[in-house]
Amino acid sequence: MELSSIKDAFDRVAKKQKLSSSKSQEVVDQVGREIEQALATIQSSRDLSSPVDQKSVLTELKFKIDAIGPLQQLEGSNKELNASISKYQKLLEKLLNPDISKAYRNVDFDTRIINQIIANHFYRQGLFDLGDSVVNEAGEPDATALRSQFLEMHQIIAAMREKNLQPALTWVSANREKLDHIGSNLELKIHRLQFVEVLQNGTRADALKYARTYLAPFASLNKDEFPKLMGCLLYAGRLESSPYSELMSPIHWEMTTEELARQFCTLLGQSYENPLSVAVAAGVEGLPTLLKLANVMAAKKQEWQEMKQLPVPVELGKEFQFHSIFVCPVSRDQGSEENPPMLLPCLHVLCKQSIMKLSKNSTRTFKCPYCPAEATVTHCRQLYF
Amino acid sequence: MEMDSLPNGNNATGTPIAATPNPAPPPPSNLPQLTESLKLEHQFLRVPFEHYKKSLRANHRAVEKEMSAVISGVNEAADLSPDDAVNHLNSLVSRLQGLKRKLEEGSRAEHLQAQKCRARLDHLESADAENLPEWNNTRLKRILVDYMLRMSYYDTAVKLAESSNLQDLVDIDVFQEAKKVIDALQNKDVAPALAWCADNKSRLKKSKSKLEFQLRLQEFIELVRAENNLRAIAYARKYLAPWGATHMKELQRVLATLAFKKDTECATYKVLFEDKQWDFLVDQFKQEFCKLYGMTLEPLLNIYLQAGLSALKTPYCYEDDCTKEDPLSQEAFRTLALPLPYSKQHHSKLVCYITKELMDTENPPQVLPNGYVYSTKALEEMAKKNNGRIICPRTGLVCSDTDLVKAYIS
Repeated sequence: MELSSIKDAFDRVAKKQKLSSSKSQEVVDQVGREIEQALATIQSSRDLSSPVDQKSVLTELKFKIDAIGPLQQLEGSNKELNASISKYQKLLEKLLNPDISKAYRNVDFDTRIINQIIANHFYRQGLFDLGDSVVNEAGEPDATALRSQFLEMHQIIAAMREKNLQPALTWVSANREKLDHIGSNLELKIHRLQFVEVLQNGTRADALKYARTYLAPFASLNKDEFPKLMGCLLYAGRLESSPYSELMSPIHWEMTTEELARQFCTLLGQSYENPLSVAVAAGVEGLPTLLKLANVMAAKKQEWQEMKQLPVPVELGKEFQFHSIFVCPVSRDQGSEENPPMLLPCLHVLCKQSIMKLSKNSTRTFKCPYCPAEATVTHCRQLYF
Repeated sequence: MEMDSLPNGNNATGTPIAATPNPAPPPPSNLPQLTESLKLEHQFLRVPFEHYKKSLRANHRAVEKEMSAVISGVNEAADLSPDDAVNHLNSLVSRLQGLKRKLEEGSRAEHLQAQKCRARLDHLESADAENLPEWNNTRLKRILVDYMLRMSYYDTAVKLAESSNLQDLVDIDVFQEAKKVIDALQNKDVAPALAWCADNKSRLKKSKSKLEFQLRLQEFIELVRAENNLRAIAYARKYLAPWGATHMKELQRVLATLAFKKDTECATYKVLFEDKQWDFLVDQFKQEFCKLYGMTLEPLLNIYLQAGLSALKTPYCYEDDCTKEDPLSQEAFRTLALPLPYSKQHHSKLVCYITKELMDTENPPQVLPNGYVYSTKALEEMAKKNNGRIICPRTGLVCSDTDLVKAYIS
């Protein structure tokens, strides 16, 4: 976008404003000077006790001020300023979208739900005072449902940042069963962090004791990992000059912390990414297309308000693809339970209805529309994405 | 590091955690998209500019007024006695000095507002591929502050803006002006609202606003409520009659309350005495206020959320096994999306059940003998760990990696 041209236009406004402002100062000074001069003339004529012709001085003053034309001068510079202002505004309107609410559907968008989403948005980021502030001002005491859980999560993470793993371990062991269920090996990873700490700062005996107590129970599940960790024991106190120095990298702390946050959210039934951020980011990406569409459909306002499906695709980035959507390349229908995707023997995929059509209700063999290979319905298999 | 991959194929049920260590950073191909998204920022540039314009106008008007007063003062001096004339001229000189000070102050204020306009232009310009995540984060905060200001959650708005150092990028100062009026209306006081109407008379007239009329009607109703009928009639003559030409119907209806009184059961008039009329006035004022500053009538948050939810909404979002990473897996978002249209797809978009990554030509889908499809990456990883054995995470079927076939999906 031509941001630079917008900037230039704004600079012109600012310049005209400066001009206009110094013009005003100047005019005020000029008029002030004339009045002071007239006063001085009157004064001096009095001192000389010469016949006072005050009237003529005043008339002259009037003429002089008329000649300056202060109001005309002010008007003139203001006119130029106004011209640059309206130019800038027109440029903004031309280069930017002046009304992004054109694609807005006038539906009941429940404020209470939005407030609750915002409160959780802050809680999950650990911004508890902001979350509480929303809850307070909006008067939504019910929006704090997830507060205590997110507080626990952020306390664990804060402790990990200070290399204190105790809260993390407490949480992991309290949730061991659920974590096992989702295939987590977080507990081992946390113990590994601690083990490496002991290796660096403690004696070999301490490290060995730690390994026996806490790492041994995981040995059978992680056969590749274990010899490495045991190898480290040889280098207790000087791990940095061992083949295993990589284990000391702070990245392990970061990754384990992130993994804990992810698994914490999973057990909460929450996403790891902030859902409000995701939805708004999708909106920013999708809105330009929707606005174009709204423009095209401007004459059919009613239709816009009532449509059940957008008439055109709104392309979003990879990070917004959460579901497998199969679109039959022949019929353009979206796959569904009644009309599932089918794999042809030539490995092309069509939807079931298209195959039924091509095979005249499975009464004959047909040619794949993508390659000339022959197929029969019985040789097609349903796919599950 | 071995531990970061799945230890076994049997625990993949619904666990995006171990398999996706980091969400992909936005590729540089996002830049045209960035340009498109900047075009949505009209309000961001327009609001501070309106504010700036307003001070420019006010300052100009002040100079003009003072100057014409001084000029006519000079003209008057000629008719005064000599001593009075000198005194008069002296007072004009000090008046001009006062004006000069005022001008300097005004120009400082203008300068500050111009800086704010410029800060926003700079902010838009600063967005590039490298700082995009952070920039997007700031945008969300800006959108949230906008929401809070419109909802009158001023404390939170200020806290959020201050904690993130966003003061120049949000319109708290502009909304201070609205806050005074709204607070007064909530206390059933129309005076600040009327003063605001007077301040912005010409622009309100241009947009055919009837806010002032509505405020006057409410004042009239309050007089009727207090049974102050004579004053009510006098008020109506003075303030309501001028609106007769354009709003006769409403005028007549409200005037009829003189006959019906505040405890009427007649629905047409009863409603005029209800408290919610004041809420209605607040809404009307907010609308006019937003229009005047070039803001959207809806909070930006609602606009972006609606667009986003529409773009994300698919029938799959409402199924029980919807991935938690989809905002639409949550009840709150589902409810908001309910009245919105579904998105439309022209091409297949396949997401691997195991890795949650998109299956495309680089990571093509492979079919197990039972018809279940996973990404090549996920299956290769699994085969490597299990000596070529593949275990279908959804059905438990065991097969060999040689049984897989690649599917072609266009």
